[in-house]
Amino acid sequence: MIGWILLGIAIVIGFVFFIYYNRFAVLGNRIDNSLSQIDVQLKRRADLVPNLVETVKGFVKHETAAIKAVTDARKALIGAQGVEDKIKADNHLESTLKTIFAIAEGYPDLKANTNFLELQRELSSTEDRVAYARQFYNDSILSYNNLCKTFPGAMFAKIYGKKEREYLQITEAEKKKVDVKF
Amino acid sequence: MEPIRVDFRDQISKNKWKSFFLMIIIFVVFVLFGYVISMAFEPGFFFMIMIISIVFSISYILVSYYNSDKIAIASVGAKKASRENYKQYYSLVEGLTIASGMPMPKLYIMKSGQINAFASGRDPQHAVVCVTEGALEKLEKRELEGVLAHELGHVASYDMKYMTLVAVMVGMIAIISQIFLRSLWFRSGDSKDKGIFILIGVVMAILAPIVVYFVQMSISRKREFSADASAVKFTRYPSGLINALKKINKDVIEPEKKVSKAVAPLFFSNPFKGLSSTHPPIEKRIQTLERM
Repeated sequence: MIGWILLGIAIVIGFVFFIYYNRFAVLGNRIDNSLSQIDVQLKRRADLVPNLVETVKGFVKHETAAIKAVTDARKALIGAQGVEDKIKADNHLESTLKTIFAIAEGYPDLKANTNFLELQRELSSTEDRVAYARQFYNDSILSYNNLCKTFPGAMFAKIYGKKEREYLQITEAEKKKVDVKF
Repeated sequence: MEPIRVDFRDQISKNKWKSFFLMIIIFVVFVLFGYVISMAFEPGFFFMIMIISIVFSISYILVSYYNSDKIAIASVGAKKASRENYKQYYSLVEGLTIASGMPMPKLYIMKSGQINAFASGRDPQHAVVCVTEGALEKLEKRELEGVLAHELGHVASYDMKYMTLVAVMVGMIAIISQIFLRSLWFRSGDSKDKGIFILIGVVMAILAPIVVYFVQMSISRKREFSADASAVKFTRYPSGLINALKKINKDVIEPEKKVSKAVAPLFFSNPFKGLSSTHPPIEKRIQTLERM
């Protein structure tokens, strides 16, 4: 009789170990997935830029400095390593794009060009999506960290060697308002 | 005085817990009722009633559950929204799926001047979202986004599955009480001790369906609050949803003939104003959102 009870307890305990192992795995995967989602959106942004540059060059003959800034920013984004640097590079790209769009205000033909408008809309939409992807990344980190810190997850975190992960930070430089220069 | 701030995550879990405990109430009523009947009649008869009600209730509801997405769409005559014509609609939902980590639902559009939306489907992989043309016309981008986020919140919380479960239990109680009441006509010459249980049984048979109906409505309202909080979680922008709700409040309501009562609970706001209490009052929803 005792034997059966002990067996039952052992099965329940084993089950709990199994559940927590899987939970860590699932939440960890979610974090990795959301990281790659950020990459997907950033790549999309980088891909849109050459098209935009060509369109703008067709109308705007002189502002080569602004155009060069965008092209350089794009290069930097593609070359960036690690999610923090990529986000920084993307923020820089966004500020150079803002300059281009501000310049476009002075060229009515460009402003009316459907290609330009479409690219502008898409770039704006991907910027929103990068923001959402970052948000989801931080949310995933929160779920994971919660599991690591609360009881009994904390116990299993020690056993399985799981550590809390870091959130995506916004650096002080990015928080400064970006000036649009003509 | 500053309203006390509420964290949207707490709001989500609080309402989910409340709806869970309310469901326990329904289950307890169910068990009690079953006990009383089994005391009033022989156990064999009781089991027969149970089995009949289970079979009817579950099979009816399971069929509608597995096809809930198709049924909901068909019952309001919604059409698939094409990506070319509804760019913003698609774009907004895509952004929200990134924020929520969910797969992309199928998008539909419904002819109606009212601002409204609903979501259906047994899980996020089989979800559909539908908005009215009125919603697309009358709402600003961020307001529409708030409404769509609310609907995705329902999908993410598996609300369709949840409410189906509740409906199964409520349906079973209704069927059992019907069978019980009708079967009383055929009973005769029972012993005195069974008499008291028959009496209790009759009272329960009349009251229980009503009680659990109101509990079901209460559960529905809790899930609505939870979906509002989920919308904030996805957009981090309560004002979008708040302004959408304010617009709906002011919206002129024409009587909607096409919307059946069965589908009404799915909608973002009552398509029948003042009738069904599946949704909390709009003022209360706005108040809660303003604290997030």
